[in-house]
Amino acid sequence: MKNRLRRLWLPLALLLMTTCAQAFDLQQLDAQLSEPAVVRGDFIQQKHLRALPQPLVSEGRFVLSRELGLLWLLQKPLQQDYRINDAGVALRNGEKWQPTGTQRAAAEYNKLFLAVLRGDSPALQQRFELQLSGTPNAWQLVLTPRSRLLQQIFTRILITGGATAEQVELFEAQGDSTSLSLKNLEIADELSAEERHDLIH
Amino acid sequence: MTSSTEAALKLPAWLLPAFMLALLALVGLTAWQWRNGAPVTANLLALLPEGAADPLEHAAERRMQEPLNRDLVLLVHHNDDLVASRLVGELIKSLNASGLFAQVRSSVDADLPALRRQLLDQRLALLGAKAREQLIGAPDEFVARRLQRLYSPFEGAGLVPVEQDWFGIADLAQRQLPHPGNVQPGPDGSLVAEHAGKRWHVIRAQTRGNAFDDRMPLRVDDLVVTARQRIAAQHGQLLAAGGLLYAAHSQRLARDEASMIGSISMLATLALLLALFRTPRVLLVALPVLVGALSGAAACVALFGNIHVLTLVLGASLIGVSIDFPLHYLSKSWTLQPWRSNLALRLTLPGLALALATNVIGYLALSFTPFPAMTQVAVFSAAGLLGAFACATCLLPRLLDTKLNPWPAPLGWATGWLRLQAALRARIGTPVLLGILLLFCLGGVLQVDFRDDLRQWIGRDPALEQQAQRIGQISGFQPTSQYFLVQAGSADELLSTQQALAERLDTLIAEEQLQGYLALSQLAAPEAAQRRVATALPQLLEAGRPLLALGISTEQLQAELQRMRAPTPISLDQILAGPLGEPWRPLWLGRQPDGTVAGLVSLQGLHDSAALAGLEAGLDGVRLIDRPAELNQLFAATKRKAALLKLAAAGLILGLLCIPFGWRGALRCISVPLLAALASLACLGWLGQPLTLFGLFGLLLVTAIGVDYAILMREQVGGAAVSLVGTLLAALTTWLGFGLLALSSTPAVSNFGLAVSLGLLFAFALSPWAAARQEPAP
Repeated sequence: MKNRLRRLWLPLALLLMTTCAQAFDLQQLDAQLSEPAVVRGDFIQQKHLRALPQPLVSEGRFVLSRELGLLWLLQKPLQQDYRINDAGVALRNGEKWQPTGTQRAAAEYNKLFLAVLRGDSPALQQRFELQLSGTPNAWQLVLTPRSRLLQQIFTRILITGGATAEQVELFEAQGDSTSLSLKNLEIADELSAEERHDLIH
Repeated sequence: MTSSTEAALKLPAWLLPAFMLALLALVGLTAWQWRNGAPVTANLLALLPEGAADPLEHAAERRMQEPLNRDLVLLVHHNDDLVASRLVGELIKSLNASGLFAQVRSSVDADLPALRRQLLDQRLALLGAKAREQLIGAPDEFVARRLQRLYSPFEGAGLVPVEQDWFGIADLAQRQLPHPGNVQPGPDGSLVAEHAGKRWHVIRAQTRGNAFDDRMPLRVDDLVVTARQRIAAQHGQLLAAGGLLYAAHSQRLARDEASMIGSISMLATLALLLALFRTPRVLLVALPVLVGALSGAAACVALFGNIHVLTLVLGASLIGVSIDFPLHYLSKSWTLQPWRSNLALRLTLPGLALALATNVIGYLALSFTPFPAMTQVAVFSAAGLLGAFACATCLLPRLLDTKLNPWPAPLGWATGWLRLQAALRARIGTPVLLGILLLFCLGGVLQVDFRDDLRQWIGRDPALEQQAQRIGQISGFQPTSQYFLVQAGSADELLSTQQALAERLDTLIAEEQLQGYLALSQLAAPEAAQRRVATALPQLLEAGRPLLALGISTEQLQAELQRMRAPTPISLDQILAGPLGEPWRPLWLGRQPDGTVAGLVSLQGLHDSAALAGLEAGLDGVRLIDRPAELNQLFAATKRKAALLKLAAAGLILGLLCIPFGWRGALRCISVPLLAALASLACLGWLGQPLTLFGLFGLLLVTAIGVDYAILMREQVGGAAVSLVGTLLAALTTWLGFGLLALSSTPAVSNFGLAVSLGLLFAFALSPWAAARQEPAP
């Protein structure tokens, strides 16, 4: 009995492992990333410009709503609130949100940004070849641009995470790169009244 | 009258050979004119007067029209984007294979290095007015904004690398360039527009040569139809819009209608004649019609170089008029027995000649209007009538010198009708009848809508219009017919004026009256402004201190400022030549012969053209060009002019009629057609129909035809009843031609047909009054 069990254990474990690995596909990642209604956290962004000896580091907080979009509250080295949703990017100017007249490449980039954080892989798949590896708790997604136009801007985008995306690294064709770490993540069911107000008005 | 004609029964012998010779020459001329295919055009614009007498406005108009005539916009959608891409690929292949297109674009093959180079080299010239002001007036703020953009995660990746653009001037220039419309490069660089959650692939194609000539529109249309079927078969959707498709539609419609109406009219007329005269020989009356059409077309091609399909449609109905000549003398066969065609012709000739003269006077009066459309129709009709008359008098009598035994019934009807009329006159009295008619006319005329609209000239296709509208919504491109023409002494002045105008347009955009515009001042700064910015550059170094904290050295900043100052001011031409300048290039008309320069400001998505009124006030050299409004005004002016010309012609005809009939008789003869036209106009009013330019032309035609009826009723060759039968026959055949036009789907043509049909009815009913002094013969 014990022997038989022992004999069975290895194939069973192997079977389990492979099914697990196979089961964690893009669909599942989508489901996993789009599950939380609200994600809050801190971010640290490092822009590595090859012309600069040190990276441009900025920090702040963010609130991502599956439904309404993203609030990006830059705190250091300067204070600036951003809002990004399907309509585009807006800057907080006093009480009002002022849309930035984004150029085409930036608009494309912003859509991408939102798609990454929301786990909208169909949107990503239109633009990139996606390669997913890892497990639901520790996965890595590599994005390679499909079009020549996008290839002239990005070479590769790397996203790692667990329950949510935790790190995004973006490599630009001109040699610059940006890395974004999302920390102290907390998942919630609802936005606060203030956040909701900011995202809607 | 009859006694004087007995002496010379025979027509001069040389008449027939002379006519045959002329006919041969006409056929030869036509064959030569058609040697390179049919000289037929469907270009609607060719029918419109060249409103712009000013060569500059003319050039501007041509520049704005060009895309309208040559561009084709196609939108493809499929739920599966990969399938959509494949469908687009197939469509492009078929467009290219057709050889009809000079250019087919479905993606931005953005040459990024070239864009980068232009941004770097011309950054001071490309910087917008607001940014220039900030740079000069508040350099600290300018640098603060730059820092903000550097840190922003969203405004990433400009085209120019940061180390070549520390101050972000090129970056800012790139950001602020407007990109009108909703079309953007998609994930794979292909042009896409997203609307209401649907993703559309956009293809723009530009044909070779002019859209309106040859068979180009039809071939493009066929291509689109085939593509639509193929895409629909794979559950995709194709939308298409372009002037070409409208041209194809109206060309097809006009040709189909011309041949349909022409042949129905011909067949019905011939059937009618066969039934009445009971000999196939009578079908030879079609000969004058053919000769008439041939002469009309030949005259038009000789005078204008080509003939328009609309003229052909209206000309097709000339069949009904030119057949009147033989009919009038053939109708004498009811009483003139045994039938002798020469005698009948000889008896009716004075009346026929008078009718021809009045008709031709009427038509030629119209050719003095500034409308090429009307001139063409008038020339076609006048020449056609002359040809038909010549054939009807020189050739036809010899061919019809046979036994004629017409169906007697119509003569009985005519006698009955005349009796009824006489009874009516006896019981109620002409003045009372006239009073009733005039009251009816007054009531109707007051309700007539005299407005004209260019759109009535086009056979409308709701499906095409709906597609164009959807494409406008999806792509955000809703070009308007109105635009501004700006003229100035130098390019700098031009840019400043356009900038001032642009600021006014910005308010309209803020008020949501306008969606957008394209002005040269959005792209390029005046050279003087470039110099001002260049002088202010050194203060940026001072203000640039926060940049040093990022690890940038002072030397790097200095070097960049140095590089920016190096190029001399950049001219508008140079800026337009770069890849960024492409959307603006058509707006630049360049230096004019008088030394000034000119440029345009085009508008997008204008809700109400009234919003533009007075917008250019106080700006020197700015003209608002509103071609549709100009044309509609011109329509109104032409209508007035045509009506006056016609009145003048009526005066002339009155004078002419005084010779045989005396002034009382002449007055009676001329008032029949004038009353008929008035009554027809009143009917239009009662029916809620507008009077378009072509409708007016119809009324004028009614007066011309009505004079014929009046003359023939007055002459009474062979008796009143016989003359009335002749008039009825003429009215019936004319109605078979024109009445059918009322069925046309081109509003202008149908309005014309309706006006003529109604007028004919009244002209026929009123014609016995022309002879009211004589007792009707039993």
